[in-house]
Amino acid sequence: MARSKPHRLRKLLAVVGIALIVLIAFTGAWIVYLDRVVTRDFQGRLWSVPARVYAQPLDLYAGAPVTADDLEEELHRLHYRSGDPAAGPGVYRRHGGDFELHARRVRFVDELREPELVSIRAGSDSIIGLRHADGTELPIFRLDPLLVGNVFPVHGEDRIVLSPGDVPPLLRLGVKAVEDRRFDEHHGVDPYGILRALWADLRAGRVIQGGSTLTQQLVKNYFLSDEQTISRKATEAVMALRLEAHFSKDDILVAYLNEVYLGQDGSRAIHGFGLGSEYFFAKPLAELDVGELALLIGLVKGPSYYDPRKHADRARARRNVVLQELADARLIDAAAAKRAAAEPLGLRPPGGGYVPAYLDLVRRHLKRDYAEADLAAAGLTVYTTLNPRAQAAAEQSLARHLSHLDAASRARGAHLEGAVIVADPNSGDVVAVVGGRSVDAEGFDRALDARRPIGSLVKPAVYLAALETGRYNAATMLDDAPITLKLSDGSTWAPQNYTHEIYGRVPMVRALAESMNLATVRLGLDVGLPRVADTLVSLGLETRPTLNPSLLLGTVEMTPLEVVQVYTTLANGGFRARLRAVQAVLDEQGRPLKSFKVQVEAAAAPAAVYQLDRMLTLVTARGTGRGASARLPPGTIVAGKTGTSSDTRDSWFAGFTGTYLAVVWVGYDDNRATGLTGAAGAMPVWADVIASVKSASYQPVPPELVEDRWIGFGDGLETTAACSADAVAVAVPTGTPLPGKPGCGSSPTDTLTDKIKAWFNKTIH
Amino acid sequence: MVQQDHSLKRLVTAFTAAALLSACSLLAPHSSTSQPPTPQMSSPQPPMSPAPPQSPPLSPSAPAPHAPSPARENHLSAATRSLVTQARTQVAHGDLPAASSTLDRALRIEPSNPLLWIELGRLRLAESDAHQAEGCGRKALALASGDRLAQAQAGRLLADALRAQGRNQEAREVESQPFMNSSP
Repeated sequence: MARSKPHRLRKLLAVVGIALIVLIAFTGAWIVYLDRVVTRDFQGRLWSVPARVYAQPLDLYAGAPVTADDLEEELHRLHYRSGDPAAGPGVYRRHGGDFELHARRVRFVDELREPELVSIRAGSDSIIGLRHADGTELPIFRLDPLLVGNVFPVHGEDRIVLSPGDVPPLLRLGVKAVEDRRFDEHHGVDPYGILRALWADLRAGRVIQGGSTLTQQLVKNYFLSDEQTISRKATEAVMALRLEAHFSKDDILVAYLNEVYLGQDGSRAIHGFGLGSEYFFAKPLAELDVGELALLIGLVKGPSYYDPRKHADRARARRNVVLQELADARLIDAAAAKRAAAEPLGLRPPGGGYVPAYLDLVRRHLKRDYAEADLAAAGLTVYTTLNPRAQAAAEQSLARHLSHLDAASRARGAHLEGAVIVADPNSGDVVAVVGGRSVDAEGFDRALDARRPIGSLVKPAVYLAALETGRYNAATMLDDAPITLKLSDGSTWAPQNYTHEIYGRVPMVRALAESMNLATVRLGLDVGLPRVADTLVSLGLETRPTLNPSLLLGTVEMTPLEVVQVYTTLANGGFRARLRAVQAVLDEQGRPLKSFKVQVEAAAAPAAVYQLDRMLTLVTARGTGRGASARLPPGTIVAGKTGTSSDTRDSWFAGFTGTYLAVVWVGYDDNRATGLTGAAGAMPVWADVIASVKSASYQPVPPELVEDRWIGFGDGLETTAACSADAVAVAVPTGTPLPGKPGCGSSPTDTLTDKIKAWFNKTIH
Repeated sequence: MVQQDHSLKRLVTAFTAAALLSACSLLAPHSSTSQPPTPQMSSPQPPMSPAPPQSPPLSPSAPAPHAPSPARENHLSAATRSLVTQARTQVAHGDLPAASSTLDRALRIEPSNPLLWIELGRLRLAESDAHQAEGCGRKALALASGDRLAQAQAGRLLADALRAQGRNQEAREVESQPFMNSSP
């Protein structure tokens, strides 16, 4: 049995040997695998360039509603500076209303414009004229489009990618000084740093230092999950070593600066110093001062713990620690650090040209209208229909009114929310989107995603369905009387007017203007629920609503964006223009991907829509929307409708002028009652937005076979403006017989002699 | 005495009412169909008609009712005219997407000008998008209400767009509309 001993030993050695070989082979394969991952993905992502997203450029021409001050504001937005225009592009000079401008070289969606000298004369309410440098007249000229963001259309992130030349030296040195002092010496992993961190942790009795190098942090961000396991740490270390073996220190540092996580904007992660600078300060990185840079560098340690918007004190303390470290590393002098430490944080105020909700819509429309493979190409340029002036007006109006309403509300501590969308109904261009009162707060985009009952906003569809039958007109008498319905589930439904009053017989125009529920339910049932649902669908609602009688009072739920689509068709004379935020996408060579054209389709009879729209102008002139007029320039004609859902959970206003359509929603996120009608909550916001975007009156071209007639707003009888104090002008099909008001009756078909004869007959007999 | 007083009152009321009535008839809104047809204009290359540099006179922002302006005539302003010229140059160079963007730009300035919708519809036909051309034609026709010349141009566009979709019967119906005779 003695020889069995060495035999066993040999066997054991063999097993161990094989195990070792297998282990080495596996480790080797694993390292090779990680190496491949690192080189392939890093290479791919390091130089991936996001699509640049531009707003609609501002067109200047004689009569354009742009004042001299508007023009200068726009030039500042575009980073034109005041000076001698002869010096070069990007400079302007202003004398009163006269501007000389040296415009930059610009790639527009349809042409490349070389730098150009132009002179512009602006008046107190519009552009007066434009001239070339040689004095000849210039009929139209557009300013540069404003860059509003960068998106990776496929994975949806937006990022401002810095190339090595874009990185300010202080940022490069500062990040190294604060996060990884031995970055230039180590090879991806820093044993000395790990030991130091371990020692610090042991002394403190808890984890206070990570000991990860910048390379390891980058690897973790790029390739790995957040879990803290030994195998993940090992993977991270190997990948970091391989990354250092393949790429230069500078590539790694720049990639780190583009990748590092700096904060959260709702559902959107803020990665990279370029975007961080834009998000926190609304400035390009190159323009940040020492304190602002220090704040961003400090955020790396704990983006949510030091979030300057939520924890200003922590953020200030952290910034000042970083300033001290920068001074200790002799990157700045002590006096500068001290001065910067005394400064406020300098965060960008809301509404600074940062438009996450709009970019959200851009991303969705890119996905809707373009092939994913096309969008994956690098260096795309996206031309949107965003109007930065309308966007700023919408943000400011919403924030201001919601603060007032909160202050007046008894619901302590609860914050009203809201959404605004502004569109050009003629083209379907969406020009502004506001998804909440604070552009920065939790990123739920109410404009696109909050689906709420629309209340009386549905009524125009009911009245349009009625007009389209040809059996109704604005003067048709409706019965505003109690009604009880037995529903299909056996329950009964007894709607009431908002005022709890009963108005009896009222003309259609008044029932709509004063948003009477009982008259509307009776009208809708008479017209038929299927017809009303069909009308909503042809106006642009994508899913046909359930045929429940309560549909007539707006239990149907829609997002503000869907309401915009439906109302666009009303504002566009019955033509449905498909909403769009993306006008065109060009590839790196400037070729269009697949231009998305204005799409216009006949959706409802123009004559019926005209009659309805004229009634909607009376909503704001005499009905529930009266309050809007006071906030608009005198004499402005607007059409609109208030909407209030049950228990005042949702306050809506949808309305349009000759140029813009806007929809506003106000309510609580938790769906509690607001105590606000559409007129009290949403309408003031709407009116302020419309007033600040300089809209022309709503004056549609009257269709053939429709004529204007005067009727009594209360009794619906034909009358004259002079004869009845409550006479209103309505549009009805030409020659519609209308019962006349005794003693007033006037119809355009009667001659004056007929009238006098009739009157004498009446008086004599 | 009382009787006499009463009849005097009636006479005064009668006069006042008659005066009011005549005033009313002046104020009374008119039907848009009762307007005389638009005087014909010679236009070498519709819809770019030789137009005065000013914008079309829109009805003043008088309070409702909108008295429909007698005969409408649609023109292009200097700005939109230069854009239409540019778009045509772009078409001539075969750059239809650029022409489309240029016309979008013009429509943002004058969204209710039927001449621009006609121009856009012609471009859609050139792009073989007869369905969109039809939409533009219908939109132009609605906006051209009261302008016989623009109506005729819009009608021709609509008929062409329908024919391109094989809807010849509908095209013939459009062509038999009375305004189609007012072509230059």
